Amino acid sequence: MNGRALRIGIKRGWAEHMQLLRNRRELTTTLVGTAGIFALLLLWIGDEQVKGTDVSSGMFMTSGFLAFTVFSNALMTLPMALAADREEGTLLRLRTVPGGISAYLVGRAVTLLCQIAVQSALILATGVVVGGAPLPHDWPTLLWVLLLGTVAVVPLGAAIGCLLPGPKAAGAVLGLPMMGLMVTSGVMLPVTYMPEAVQWIAQAFPLYWQGLGLRAAFLPDAMLAAEIGGSWRLPYVAAVLAAWAVAGMLLAPVLVRRVTRRESGSRLAERQLAAQSS
Amino acid sequence: MSAAVSVRGLRMKYGAAEVLRGVDLEIRRGEIFTLLGPNGAGKTTTIEILEGFRNRSAGEVSVLGTDPERGGDAWRAKLGIVLQNWRDHNKWGVREIIAHLSEFYDDPHDPDGLLAAVGLTGQAGQQVGRLSGGQRRRLDVALGIVGRPELLFLDEPTTGFDPEARQEFHLLLEKLAADDGMTVLLTTHDLVEAEKLAHRTAILTGGRITACGTPAELARAVQAQSRVRWLEDGRERTLTTDDPSRAAWELHERFGGPVPGLEIRRPSLEESYLELIGRAA
Repeated sequence: MNGRALRIGIKRGWAEHMQLLRNRRELTTTLVGTAGIFALLLLWIGDEQVKGTDVSSGMFMTSGFLAFTVFSNALMTLPMALAADREEGTLLRLRTVPGGISAYLVGRAVTLLCQIAVQSALILATGVVVGGAPLPHDWPTLLWVLLLGTVAVVPLGAAIGCLLPGPKAAGAVLGLPMMGLMVTSGVMLPVTYMPEAVQWIAQAFPLYWQGLGLRAAFLPDAMLAAEIGGSWRLPYVAAVLAAWAVAGMLLAPVLVRRVTRRESGSRLAERQLAAQSS
Repeated sequence: MSAAVSVRGLRMKYGAAEVLRGVDLEIRRGEIFTLLGPNGAGKTTTIEILEGFRNRSAGEVSVLGTDPERGGDAWRAKLGIVLQNWRDHNKWGVREIIAHLSEFYDDPHDPDGLLAAVGLTGQAGQQVGRLSGGQRRRLDVALGIVGRPELLFLDEPTTGFDPEARQEFHLLLEKLAADDGMTVLLTTHDLVEAEKLAHRTAILTGGRITACGTPAELARAVQAQSRVRWLEDGRERTLTTDDPSRAAWELHERFGGPVPGLEIRRPSLEESYLELIGRAA
């Protein structure tokens, strides 16, 4: 990667981020879909307390939604964007340009980070204003968990995006597992509410650890009564997220290279034709 | 100066199917060259190999002095590529995407000048996804040449155009090629387009080049036989020949005067072309 591709990629990512912000439908979906549903949930059950603790559901859910925002952007929005870029020929267009693919990947990452930042701020603000959640007491932990959590899932999302046949399939294939993980990973309900087998499965995925790390930054230690092992286990948070990051970084470049190298006009046309006739 | 494109014995196999069976091509710098052939003849495969998007099975290929399979960014910067049915970057503004892609090159066209050249100044602020088909194709050309390429590839650029849009597009291409001294390789299945635009044309049928040359040379090369008809002993007689003039003269000599019902029909270039691709198929 040269400096020019990096610079153009950053500009590209910012431009696409601004296009999303200017797009009224996109903006409505984000505002209503993310902040709106969250606000309703807060109004509905935000005042209840997490069983066995004096922590309010509103506080608990704020950290949970934050974790889920990062997770779903990386593993749902990103793969769908990659698949769409492939189907519309964006990837191929950048392949015709010197340094285009590097700039494209940088651009995608920048757009994603901007989206995550905007939505995280929105969730946090909604949690504080509507749910009466306190601001995090441990900002350094909040930041490193958000960053490491992002690095853990973004390469993974890129890899998934390369494997998916198209943007529609992405929604169909990813929707259900995402919902499943959302329910079982302790970001909406404390994980100790789940049967032990489910707890073990949840702990294999990065979402649980990201949620745990964020709760450590937000919630008082009174919450520990509802956590596995009664501890924030921050070293484990760091280790598991780092392991996912490494796995993703080993996998993603191979798949991205394969997908971008294979791209050509006739292959794109074949797929477009197949998509039209199906 | 060396040729812009030089191809020797190019072969391409997909599994057991052989799509290209020994293609030879030589495209000179600064010429507009068309690769003409029916659908499925291997035009797109050929052009994708030249663009470095597909690896060949056998043969020698040199594009601007470089083997496309080993072409790096410096080589790619000298190429412009316009594909069929591009629908990318729909959410970008027209001027925005031209300016964005121009940044990848050392000496790009000025985006506003380019917009004027392809007749999209009025659409500069519009979203790419809202352009009409013809406008979209002109934008694709603008994006193809934004980096001042030495060699421009156009794959079936006027498919789906109405005659007026096609005419405008031809004028645009001729102007661009003349102004920049750019070499242009375009594929088409339309003989009239090839005849009108190209300095030279190669006909690709069944994975081989069956004829190559200027429009006049091509016409001679592919010219099908003429049909001579006349009446003799009350019956209609016909003769097919490469030299209808001589046949008529011989008939006149034989008849010692006017030949009754004499009719000579030379097939048009289009009919000749259709017969040629019919023979190969």
